[in-house]
Amino acid sequence: MNRSWYAPRRLLSYLLVVGIAVTALFPLAWMAISGFKSQTEVLRTPFQFFPDVWQLDNYRLILADPAFVRAMVITFAGAVIFTVASLVVNSMAAYAFARLEFAGKRLWWLVCITPMFVPAMAILLTSFVVVSKLGMLDTLAVLIIPGVAASAQMFFLRQFYLNMPAAVEEAALIDGATRWQIFLQIFVPQSLGPFVVVGIASFLGYWNSYVWPVLVVSNPDLTQIMQYLATFRSARGNEWGMLMAGSTLAALPTILLVLIFQRYIVNGVRLAGLK
Amino acid sequence: MSMIDTSAQPTAKATEVTDPSGTSRRRRRRRRARVTEQAPQHLRAHLTAYLMITPMVVLLGIFVVWPLVYAFYLSFFEMSFYKDAEFVGFDFYKYVLTDPEFYDSLLVGLKFALMVVPTILVLALLLASFLATLSKRMAAFMKTTVYVPAVVSSVVAAIIFVFIYQDEGFANWFIGLFGQGPLAWLNTATTALPAVAVPAIWLGFGVSTLIMLAGILDIPESYFESAKLDGANFWQRTRYITIPSLRNVILFLLVSGLTLTIQEFQLPLVMTNGGPVNATNTPNLYIFNSFRDATPYATSYSLTAALLLFIVIGTISLIIFRVVSSEKSSDA
Repeated sequence: MNRSWYAPRRLLSYLLVVGIAVTALFPLAWMAISGFKSQTEVLRTPFQFFPDVWQLDNYRLILADPAFVRAMVITFAGAVIFTVASLVVNSMAAYAFARLEFAGKRLWWLVCITPMFVPAMAILLTSFVVVSKLGMLDTLAVLIIPGVAASAQMFFLRQFYLNMPAAVEEAALIDGATRWQIFLQIFVPQSLGPFVVVGIASFLGYWNSYVWPVLVVSNPDLTQIMQYLATFRSARGNEWGMLMAGSTLAALPTILLVLIFQRYIVNGVRLAGLK
Repeated sequence: MSMIDTSAQPTAKATEVTDPSGTSRRRRRRRRARVTEQAPQHLRAHLTAYLMITPMVVLLGIFVVWPLVYAFYLSFFEMSFYKDAEFVGFDFYKYVLTDPEFYDSLLVGLKFALMVVPTILVLALLLASFLATLSKRMAAFMKTTVYVPAVVSSVVAAIIFVFIYQDEGFANWFIGLFGQGPLAWLNTATTALPAVAVPAIWLGFGVSTLIMLAGILDIPESYFESAKLDGANFWQRTRYITIPSLRNVILFLLVSGLTLTIQEFQLPLVMTNGGPVNATNTPNLYIFNSFRDATPYATSYSLTAALLLFIVIGTISLIIFRVVSSEKSSDA
């Protein structure tokens, strides 16, 4: 009796799944497809979804542009360094705030958590002044270092560490382990899930950033990928095929990251304690 | 009412467990205290903690606290290339608060947020309700699918949508199917802001959906089953079970969404640069463009505007944070 309505319902479900997936991913698919269209086809009347001729020229041309490849490589390298540095700095502080008692803890906690409520725009200009006073303009360091300490990530990791059972730590302390050993050998290995979540957030934050690089970097050797794309759009805005090919390649690493770590990201919502 | 809660209970437990054992350790040590000195041991524990937080404190001090204090300092001075900075007190605050352009940009930001956030919430609620009914494998596929747009950068999203809004682009083809258009989407005052809102919705709906889904999965299955037995349809179940149970999640997403969205400026920066006739000039874009204005007056002015915005938005997010945290601790 159940089966009679169950089958069409399931079909409807499948149709909805396909419909939602197609709609959600359409802009990305459209970008990638347009990358395969020649200049005459990319914006044509009458409108056509797929090109008459699939051609690789746009992807080939953009990859032949040394500035594009350099931007991809330097941004990727920066993003990896940034992610690792963020994990080190934020997880250490998170552990201390979650598990250790020390003088002035409340005050330091306030110092470390308040920046979460400071919007980037409020300090954008003076951050620029500060990094130029420090002589950091036009270096890789100015792209990486100012964002490494992230209150929200530290908060997230601290929540996770607060929830870890105290028993193992106690046992290790009695065995004479130092806090550093406990942190590195017990807490860090168990942090893979939250590390992936905040690590991906760091990577995305760096890879996708645009305004900060525009302000602090003018050396073409340090041009970041989003900077490259925005410049390409204002300089060669009519070459849509190539722009779409470049955007596709620039979006690819972030999308791959999601696909590789999808399991962790979905759990991350739960881990955030936000649910 | 446990949907915002994961940490509260275990948190309390963890500290409880840590503390008594901590004191017992101290007591044990005190018994030996006359033999080994307690002070260095004690100091070393503090030292470890300080070493662990030092990088964070130093970096935040240099790159957040210093710029912030400096920004407040500068907002009280009029800078000039020709003479020394002059203390002007609250003058810039007065200018900003009486400047119609600032209010215009606030209005644009508010309109933008009201287009984006409610749409995202409705979409997320519907999608999450649907995802909750799927089999495990299908749900996993869909969760990843809705999350993918969230990782795309605003610059790429802006470029894609500018392309879609071209005269011969997808958007005009689409409305052409209904006998409408073509429109100059980004060049018409009435359509520009909604046209910028669409990529914002596209970028934002995934995370909200996942958060709502986690909330829905926490609602006891029995609620829905007994409602179904009573013959409640999907809308009734949503109206009387899902929405009331998700009240806190929805409130959180609404307020944090509004505060984040009103600050959006990268999309209009790349898509329209505020035009046409300031129709997409959100507060932060307005501030950002006055930053780039070379006159020193504009610098202090926009700095002050940014600080005023920060005070309002910072206060709101602090309140949300407080409310969410207290929900956690009151939940059991």
